[in-house]
Amino acid sequence: MSIIFVLIPIALIFVCVGIGIFFWAVKSEQFEDLDRQGINILFDDKNKSKHDDDRPS
Amino acid sequence: MASNQGLCFHCNEVIPKGVNLHVSILGSSQAMCCQGCAAVAQTIIESGLEDYYQHRTAAAPSAQGLVPDALVKMLEYDDESVQLEFVAQNENSKEVLLSIEGIACAACAWLIEKQLLHIPGVQKIHVNSTTQRATLVWDDQHVKLSQLLQSVQKLGYNATPFQTDKQEEIDRKLYRSHLLKLGVAGLATMQVMMFAIALYGDLFDDMELIYRDYFRWVSLIMATPVLLFSAQPFYFGAYRSLKAKTLNMDVPVSIALLGAYSASLYATVNGTGEVYFESVSMFTFLLLLGRLLELRARRKASETSSNMLKLVPKLAMRIDESGQQQKVAASQLKHSDIIVILPGEVVPADGQVVFGESEFDESSLTGESLPITKKHGDKVFAGTINHEQTVHLEVEAVSQNTFIANIMRLQEQAQSEKPKIATIADSVARYFVFGLLVIAALTYTYWHFHSPEDAFWITLAVLVATCPCALSLATPAALTAATHKLSKTGLLVKRGHVLESLAKVTSVVSDKTGTLTEGKLQIKHVNTRDDVDETTTLNLIGALEAQSSHPIANAFSEYQSYTAKNIEHHTGLGLSGEVKGLQLKLGKASFCGQPAEPKAGMLELVLMVDDKLAARVYLSDTIKKDAVRFSQGLKTRDISLSMLTGDDSAQVEYVAKQLHITDISSGALPQQKLEVVRTKTQKSPHLLMLGDGVNDGPVLAAAPLSVAMGLGTDIAKSSADAVLLGSKLTTLLTAMDLAKKTKKIIAQNLAWALGYNALILPLAVAGIVTPYMAAIGMSLSSLAVLTNSLRLNKQ
Repeated sequence: MSIIFVLIPIALIFVCVGIGIFFWAVKSEQFEDLDRQGINILFDDKNKSKHDDDRPS
Repeated sequence: MASNQGLCFHCNEVIPKGVNLHVSILGSSQAMCCQGCAAVAQTIIESGLEDYYQHRTAAAPSAQGLVPDALVKMLEYDDESVQLEFVAQNENSKEVLLSIEGIACAACAWLIEKQLLHIPGVQKIHVNSTTQRATLVWDDQHVKLSQLLQSVQKLGYNATPFQTDKQEEIDRKLYRSHLLKLGVAGLATMQVMMFAIALYGDLFDDMELIYRDYFRWVSLIMATPVLLFSAQPFYFGAYRSLKAKTLNMDVPVSIALLGAYSASLYATVNGTGEVYFESVSMFTFLLLLGRLLELRARRKASETSSNMLKLVPKLAMRIDESGQQQKVAASQLKHSDIIVILPGEVVPADGQVVFGESEFDESSLTGESLPITKKHGDKVFAGTINHEQTVHLEVEAVSQNTFIANIMRLQEQAQSEKPKIATIADSVARYFVFGLLVIAALTYTYWHFHSPEDAFWITLAVLVATCPCALSLATPAALTAATHKLSKTGLLVKRGHVLESLAKVTSVVSDKTGTLTEGKLQIKHVNTRDDVDETTTLNLIGALEAQSSHPIANAFSEYQSYTAKNIEHHTGLGLSGEVKGLQLKLGKASFCGQPAEPKAGMLELVLMVDDKLAARVYLSDTIKKDAVRFSQGLKTRDISLSMLTGDDSAQVEYVAKQLHITDISSGALPQQKLEVVRTKTQKSPHLLMLGDGVNDGPVLAAAPLSVAMGLGTDIAKSSADAVLLGSKLTTLLTAMDLAKKTKKIIAQNLAWALGYNALILPLAVAGIVTPYMAAIGMSLSSLAVLTNSLRLNKQ
């Protein structure tokens, strides 16, 4: 049972990390558009940024 | 998305007969309903963005309405002085917020981003599909804003710079801080509940004290940020209400939270008594969740309404001393400048006509549905539209001093006077909280004399067990569910009191043009000479009117078989011209030298072919299809309907008769409208105002409850309490019924919550309730309230 004296603080550290990530996510507007992020992964990245795409438009 | 037979692959609308357009998409040929959609689909394919069709979850908007006309307007956005109003200047880039019409799903957002990133000079583009907005950062050296707007347009969307309204900015910050607080409370609650279960186990099985204390200390660590950070909104709320010398729900919530926490802290440090950390955390979490949902609904409404506050560039053509014409921003105009107003243009400033003669559409200001002729020396107001010929104006008032700015000020004033209606919960809460505090104090006093060491604990148990959780959720939960349901049926609620007020409405005051009627002239009767064919007649008129932007011309827009030559405008009288070698004259009976044969509530047009009477055409503004059902629906609900309009033509009585309205005030200016509504409000305080025009702005802001039409002007929408999307009047009847039902559900919730508290209170006062019983009871009662509220959302 005495293992919980070690494990619970570790769990607490994880919780703190989780809260940290949550704060970051809220501040970087991840929750502003909930429909969007889920579908983003479906699109191909073949012409993701303008730098690696020289095709005239 | 599967292709449906007879439906446009791009916008999913029915393909009209005779249209045969196809675009090859994803390897197969797909049918399109119009040139617009075909062009948009072609652009998407050519840009290598076919993926869009694979992943979209909703059809695209129809591209039918996109006309090159709008492109000209976009060029005005490039003007430096115009950009000052809405563009943020960075070191070597510019940033603008765009509102984008027609975003249906996430794939649209992706499509727009990809397309714009192709363009050199675009540095950043982020499209938010929920709010239908985009942040665009670009380099002005490489590409102009108008070009970027055009490339969005080519994809079938309509992008316009806009201004966020103040309320939205406040809501956005509040939402974000609540979200952070909720996240902390949620994560902490999960942990604390875990330890709480272990601690409850203590009741059945003797746990070694060292573990019990360890769990308590860990719970304390987790509950502290919840108390200090997450629960802040309740403390501030309580502080504000105490400062205002009233009691609201936040007061007992704060007392219970602080009390339960301090007692638990005391118990943890001394190793005695009970701990309530899980109650503190869970209670905070649930309450925050309710508030967040409420906030989200409100935020959505304010976002939608501020998307409507589009910035239309206001440019003016000024004639300088040397007689040259130059373009300047309307804000730079000065008194006694001479400006040119072309046909179809919106007047940028108030002024006097010094040259020319034309008809001006003042419907947005006065509600008058037909244009008014303005000659030399007549006053013309900013915001009205020139219909016929070029005129020169001498500027008299600019921006803040214009007539329209005065209306806006009137509206702001009226808004600040709007009576504050206390919510049901607040009035119940005041008594409840007071009673609770008295009982807690009495309990403490009683036990202090009988069993001093238990007094504090029992008093605390009273506060925790009667924890007003269910009670404070009772109203917001029902309101949130109902607001959600309302926005699904088509009424966007912007302010909190709408549902409560809707349930009580006893009289409705409505504007006419655009609210009860379509606000557009339509052909009602055509009386032709015996040897003249009706279709030919209409096509002849259509040809004459083709070049005009007059509301009358719109009625004939579908008759475009011929083209006319030598068209002449006779301001305020009619038109003349030549079609198929025939000399035509169209206009008022007097203009054509014929006796008038008027029909009630209709506008008569006479057509002369080669100086002989050919036809009489009658036009009128059509009463909305559901206006009759709306007026009947109000009657069955015992709600009176009256009309308040700026129009004073024969139309008014005609419409009133059709809809069986007896109480009419016509020809009212914005200020007069305001007075009428104020007197009416004194007689029947539960009044609902319906309107759509600029001139309705102040009344909408002043009325106890106001609804603006979704197709109305931005000013009307920003001052109203709710916006009727799709402008369907019968939705309002559904909303009223829902509001009544909501009231019933709130009453049930309150009864349940109060009943539960009444039941548990004596037990707690007697010192019988154990902490886990209190926790279970509290959760169950909250759950019951939530489930009951969700019934509103179903059906």
